[in-house]
Amino acid sequence: MSAVGKIGGIAKQLVRVVVVLVLVTFGVTVIVRLLPGDPVTTLLPFGTPEQHAVLRKELGLDVNIFQYYLQWLWNFVRGDFGQTYTTVADGGVQVRDQIALTLPRTLFLMGYTIIFSLIVSIPLGILLAYKADTRLDKTVSNALFGFASIPNFGIGLGLAYLLGVKFDLLNPVGYVPMTENIAEHFKSMIMPVLALSIGLISTFTRLLRTDTIATLKEDFVTMASSKGLTNKWILWRHVLRPSSLTLLTSAALNMGALIGGAVVVESVFAFDGLGTLIAYSINFRQYLAIQSLIALVAVSYILFNLIVDVLYGIVDPRVRSHRGG
Amino acid sequence: MVADRKPIGFYLSSAWIALCVFLTAFGDSLPITSYKANDFDAMGVGPFSPNHILGTDFDGVDLLSAIAHGARWSILISFISVFVASVIGGALGIIAAFWRGWVDAAITMYFNVTLSIPTLILTVAMVAVFASPDMSNPEAGMPRILVLIISLTFVIIPVLGRIARSSALSWTGREFVMVAESVGMKRRQIIWSHIVPNVVPSMMSVAFLAAGVVIVVEGGLAILGVGTDPGQSWGSMLAKNRGDISIAPHTTLIPAAAIALTVMALNYFGDYFRNRIDGRESRI
Repeated sequence: MSAVGKIGGIAKQLVRVVVVLVLVTFGVTVIVRLLPGDPVTTLLPFGTPEQHAVLRKELGLDVNIFQYYLQWLWNFVRGDFGQTYTTVADGGVQVRDQIALTLPRTLFLMGYTIIFSLIVSIPLGILLAYKADTRLDKTVSNALFGFASIPNFGIGLGLAYLLGVKFDLLNPVGYVPMTENIAEHFKSMIMPVLALSIGLISTFTRLLRTDTIATLKEDFVTMASSKGLTNKWILWRHVLRPSSLTLLTSAALNMGALIGGAVVVESVFAFDGLGTLIAYSINFRQYLAIQSLIALVAVSYILFNLIVDVLYGIVDPRVRSHRGG
Repeated sequence: MVADRKPIGFYLSSAWIALCVFLTAFGDSLPITSYKANDFDAMGVGPFSPNHILGTDFDGVDLLSAIAHGARWSILISFISVFVASVIGGALGIIAAFWRGWVDAAITMYFNVTLSIPTLILTVAMVAVFASPDMSNPEAGMPRILVLIISLTFVIIPVLGRIARSSALSWTGREFVMVAESVGMKRRQIIWSHIVPNVVPSMMSVAFLAAGVVIVVEGGLAILGVGTDPGQSWGSMLAKNRGDISIAPHTTLIPAAAIALTVMALNYFGDYFRNRIDGRESRI
């Protein structure tokens, strides 16, 4: 494995990511430009032709799609995501400000979901693999399979009824910022996080169980146990790391589904997050907002996958050497 | 090999899917209350009420008939989009695997670009593109169900296409394909007689999972207010009634259960076929 080869590999991957990023953002531009109806007349139904012309210029709709894209990209890279046009009179609301308000909520929701899912599924997956094919394993595995099939909004609505109405434990709607009241913040997160994580827990646990069962058959495990190491030590120190690769990939791949799930679950719990913002922008034809928001989601998703790819090499040295050579 | 006894889940899933398909075909002609009728004497009554075994919602619509009617929308949307996406995605995947070079690069790039936008977000955007061109005149343009099917198909194509490509790639290197090539068989013949029959089974399991995903995404679209019209599919039933969850939870939980059971059955088939293929591969 040479250093030159390694750098070449990374460079190649970076070029690929950049190409995908450009194509995704351009594709989003095409989609948004294809949106039916003239945005100018939608936004200013009673405006004069002069006012229409001004707005058209402001939206960048007076130039062809390539110029429009380049202009948008330049603004996007500088962090100018455009503005919404519900209140044109006062100059509209900056999309950046809307994102600043909603993004933290969605990030909290997704972060808690991932952490909670991993905390539950890592011990559970190892336990099930260790007890493979016992009654415990079969019962839990079947239950997980069932839970994975319930859509997150179904779980969300069920929880909202059970915990929010029947037992009256939690407030089923709204979000409380951490700065306002930490306890209430976590309480407002319990149901959305549960709704999103039950499916993930099920996926993660089943993957980890399968991979751990495979790892337990490897020679180095037999070796470790013949050396007289305790089962606990072997499971956590020798088995977990090689078994967690698929889990890591799956966690990354599930980010896309998680963003989509968050959009719906936010709507169920009336939780003004990024998802609600996207749905709102689409329903109210906020062209620039839609374009910037979808691009933002896609870009973070792609970069996240790139990071996981790199992490993959750190967790599994075998991948590292293959990629370089 | 002895004919293997199938597990109980297989029969349960088959029965549920068969029921759904039956409802899709005949749901509206069954001798039950019409899904359009409003029983003003029994609005929002719970399950096991007289005349309404599953109860009614707050418009007095019988939930059993609404579920029977909703099956048509949910199942049709899901099955049609997955079928069309399997055909298109399968063709693209096999072409990419067989022609390699820039064709492969272009198709793979298309898959990657589409997959890098979360499914639900992309579908919402697609629905917005195809939906009624004019907010003041929602009747104009394509019917909503067609819009949903086209958007969902577009989004599912890369999922199935990627599987088709990787499966086709693993088969193009096999001896029997090389033999076919060396004896001068035409590419098209090789694809039809050797590649397609081997790629289809591995797409099957993913297609079942995708059908479940489509039903869930459709429900999500309904909750966001861009699905089918209120009360048509299971998802839009749920979206329509979810405001009543605190007083009449069954109106929301019954459609949610219908979605969950269908997805469970589809996931079961997906798993079942995958295990069978894995078993076959390991026996070779």
